[in-house]
Amino acid sequence: MSIRDTAIIGYAETKIVEKSDRDVWELGAEILDSLLAKTGFEKGEIDGLVLSSSMTGCGNPFWSQSTADQLGLQLDFCNIVDIGGCSPAGALARACVAIDAGLCTTVLCLYADKQASENNSRARHYQAEWALPYGYLGPPHAFGLLSKRYEHQWGLDYAMLGKLAVTQRNHALLNELGCDKLRKAITVDDYLNSRMIAEPIRLLDSVMVCDGASGLLVTSRKTAGKRGVSKIVVPIGYGERTTHRAGESVTDITETGHLPAGQKAFQQAGLKPKDIASFHPYDDFIIAIMMQMEMLGFCEQGQGCGFIRDTDFAHTGDLPLNTSGGQISAGQPGLAGGGVNLIEAVRQLMGEGGKRQVKNTKNALVTGIGGIPYGRNWNSSVAMILTPNG
Amino acid sequence: MSTQARDTLDVKREPPPPRSYSRPFWDATRQKKLMVQYDRKAGRYQFYPRATSIFTGRTGDLEWREVSGRGEVFSFSVVRRARPPFEGHEPFVLVVVTIDEGVNVMADLVHCSLEEIRIGLRVKPFWAPLPDGRHLLMFEPEKA
Repeated sequence: MSIRDTAIIGYAETKIVEKSDRDVWELGAEILDSLLAKTGFEKGEIDGLVLSSSMTGCGNPFWSQSTADQLGLQLDFCNIVDIGGCSPAGALARACVAIDAGLCTTVLCLYADKQASENNSRARHYQAEWALPYGYLGPPHAFGLLSKRYEHQWGLDYAMLGKLAVTQRNHALLNELGCDKLRKAITVDDYLNSRMIAEPIRLLDSVMVCDGASGLLVTSRKTAGKRGVSKIVVPIGYGERTTHRAGESVTDITETGHLPAGQKAFQQAGLKPKDIASFHPYDDFIIAIMMQMEMLGFCEQGQGCGFIRDTDFAHTGDLPLNTSGGQISAGQPGLAGGGVNLIEAVRQLMGEGGKRQVKNTKNALVTGIGGIPYGRNWNSSVAMILTPNG
Repeated sequence: MSTQARDTLDVKREPPPPRSYSRPFWDATRQKKLMVQYDRKAGRYQFYPRATSIFTGRTGDLEWREVSGRGEVFSFSVVRRARPPFEGHEPFVLVVVTIDEGVNVMADLVHCSLEEIRIGLRVKPFWAPLPDGRHLLMFEPEKA
C-alpha cells in the first residue's frame, strides 16, 4: 500500500480572471463537468471529495458538505484541507491516502476560490494582537523581512530573481488560461525598476490575487487499468511539514519546511534533485522559488543565485520552471492558487503542454507554500513528485 | 544629509485584543514594562505569548519575567505601500528584533534614519501610547 497505487486520470482548469462574476460553485461545476467529459467517468462513480482551502468558502464551517450537495455528489469521504497554498497538493495526497485505505474509490480534488471578488475570511491568528498594530500587511511585508534577512546571511543578486520573473512571464505568454492582465512580456530591467512595496519586495516579485478553479480526478491504479484509461499520472513521493521548528524561539529563517518535506518526497520516489525533469514550485513571491531550489537540494543553502545564473529554466531548457507562468505570471486564484503549479505538472506529464510542452516527461516536482507565520518564512511546506504511467 | 524614516505614531489604530493568556503582557505595558514568558524547565524565553510552552507543551513551568527589551535588529523592511489607517504614513520601518534574552519580536522602528538601519543595529524599547492606557511596544536606536 502506498500513494503510488493511485492515479490521476484527469485534470481541469478554468481561465484565471481578475474578478469573476460567476459564483464559486459555478466554477466548481465547470471543473466537474470538464473532468467527467475528459475521463468518461460518470458522476455516480465519484465517492470522495477533497477541497483545497478557499477564502470564499471559509466563512462556512460546512464548506465541503455544502459543495458536495451543490454538485449533487453522494460521498463516502468528504474533506477540506486548510493548509492554505499547500492545500491543492495536500488534497491530492489525502485523496491518495483515502483511496489506498479503502475509504473511497474515486476522488474529485477541487480547488475553487474567488478571493479577489468574494473574500469571506476572518482569520483568527497572531496578527490582530502582534502584527496588525504595526501596519503589517501580511505576505508582502513578511517577504520583505525574509528577503532582507536572506540578503544579510547569503547575499542576493536581484537580477537573478529577475531572471526567474522573466522566465515565468515568457511561459505565461503561452498560456491562454492565464490572467490576461499579466500576459505582457517583461525584461529583467522591468523587474528591477518595478515599484517597491516593502523593501526589497517589488511589485514584480508579488503574486496578484485573482479568481479561478482547477481540479483533478483521482482513482486507484487498478480501477484506471480496468477502465482502460490511457493517460495516468502517479504520485511517487510526498513530504509535508507544518510550522517547521515551532518549538524554538529564534531560528535560521532561510531554512524552510521544504528541507524535511523534500527529503521525504525524494526518498519515497527513489530520486535525486538532478533526476527532476521539470519543476513547478509554489510561487507567491519570486524569492520563494529560489529558496525552494536550495531546500529541495538543487543547490546548497545560500547558493540559489549561482544556480539560477547557471540554469536555463525555459520550457525548452535544462530545468523547465512553472511552464504555465506560475501564479506570479498566470494569477493566483486565492488559496486554490497551488492548483496552477500542480495542474501544469500533470498536463506536462500527460504530454498536453502544446506550445510549451517540455521534452523530458519522466517526472515533475510540485510544491506548496501555505500561511504566514510570525517573523519567519511560511507555515506549511509540501513537495510532491509525479510520474506518468507509474 | 540623512533621511528620517516616517513612523506610525500618529496612526489611530485598533487597540490589540488580548487573549486570556496574554493579559499579563498587556497589563504590564501600562507601566511601560516588557514581560516575556519564561519556561523554567527549558530555561528559555518564548514570544509571542502562548497558552503553553513551545518547548515542552506543558503549562506548569511557564512564568512571566520582566526584561529590558534591548536587543539587535534581526531583519527589517522599509514599507512603501500600506493600507488604511497606515496609508500615507510610508515610508515606515517594520523590524524583527532579537532581544538579548533570545526571542524575536516584530514591531515598528522609530526615530531612525533610513541610512542608519541595518541588521545588527542595537535598539531599545519605545512605548507608543494606546488610547486605553496600554502601550504598544516599538523600538528605537539605542543611541537615540
